[in-house]
Amino acid sequence: MKTLDGYFLFERKKGWFILGKSEQVKNGAHLKISKVGLRAFRKVGHFIKPTTRFIQAFGRYATKGVFHMDTLQFRTLVQTGEIPVDLAMEKGYVILSLEDNVIPGLGFYAQGILRSQLPRNELRESMLE
Amino acid sequence: MDLRPVDSVNTAFEHYKNIIPDFSLFQESLKVLFPVHLRINGLLATPSKVVAALKKKGICLKRVSREYNTLYMAENLPYPGNLLEYFLGYIHPQALTSALAAMALKPLKNTFVLDMCAAPGGKSAHLADLMENTGFMVCNDLYTNRHVPLGHTLSRLGVQNSVVTGYQAQEFPLRHQFDFILADVPCSCEGKFRIEPKGIPYREDKGKVQLPEIQKKILLRGFDLLKENGEMLYATCTYNPAENESVVNFLLNERDAELLPIDLGVVFEPGLSEWNHETYDRRLTRTARFYPHRIDSVGFFMARIGRK
Repeated sequence: MKTLDGYFLFERKKGWFILGKSEQVKNGAHLKISKVGLRAFRKVGHFIKPTTRFIQAFGRYATKGVFHMDTLQFRTLVQTGEIPVDLAMEKGYVILSLEDNVIPGLGFYAQGILRSQLPRNELRESMLE
Repeated sequence: MDLRPVDSVNTAFEHYKNIIPDFSLFQESLKVLFPVHLRINGLLATPSKVVAALKKKGICLKRVSREYNTLYMAENLPYPGNLLEYFLGYIHPQALTSALAAMALKPLKNTFVLDMCAAPGGKSAHLADLMENTGFMVCNDLYTNRHVPLGHTLSRLGVQNSVVTGYQAQEFPLRHQFDFILADVPCSCEGKFRIEPKGIPYREDKGKVQLPEIQKKILLRGFDLLKENGEMLYATCTYNPAENESVVNFLLNERDAELLPIDLGVVFEPGLSEWNHETYDRRLTRTARFYPHRIDSVGFFMARIGRK
């Protein structure tokens, strides 16, 4: 967790938000705040799911649970929503990594299938051209 | 709201003929569509990598100034929002003059910053980029429906040092003072006007006559929220002196404010010292007017303000 030592973690409803630690933050204590920092996690069923934006910013620090994929696999994942892969792990969320350390977001691995967790309304097929 | 169609752009801006240099070139520039300008987001990407990645896709980025390696013009790129780099938060399509506003304020790392009218968040995210995600920034916007796009922009661009509030800018609580304040106020948006291909006429909006009063209140509150050595940037995207120099002149009369020089390495005209039988403080010439025929972007006004 050293990577996140420099952050405050706030819990709100079913989400957790990070805000960079700073001496200045206390100045905002009196303000009526509608949104704080970057949403990092949300509770989905029994899982704590990292958000796409959190993974895009922090995924490069991960030392495990990363799936390096080529462009064709990525394209298929975006187009069909899933790809067959054989990962030496139990079911759970996996960080997706492309060439040049590009991290688009998350997948969910279970029983030899990697399912896209990328936001369908934001990541369109036309972006892959 | 009373919306009155005007015959052509010529008549719409005719009353600025004496204050806009090379007026005929200005009018010609309004017939050309805005070029796409992109800012490369230093919080998630490095300019050289993004430029190279886009080049591979056949998109050529042209640096707009030697001084900034994050601001580019993209030729033949109609929809930058359709790029993977947009989804990844590497780029943000933004008018050049909008990007220059954050550059002019230049907030330092580890400071306390306020963006008084923050939505949709492009300038806030740029401020966070310049602060390298340190310190603490309050992104304020009155309208809660604007908090959604504001939140999306901040998240997509990896901003981690900010909160969003929903106060009326002119009534923002006075309890703490800020190191840097951006007041990119609601304005008549004349600077965004171009003659569109479909020929939609420019419309004068009579409802906008109240804007200078609101702008004055926001500017005064912003100044009162400033620390002793703090700096503020007042900005609009209009040519209208009643929303620009006149508003800043009001501040100079009401408070011990000083106008600080603006040095951006791009072409701009000094602010006016008089208009429409109104004479302004001579210091108003330290403000900056950006015209589309000079900078190929949205018409803009900036005043950099400090305490005396």
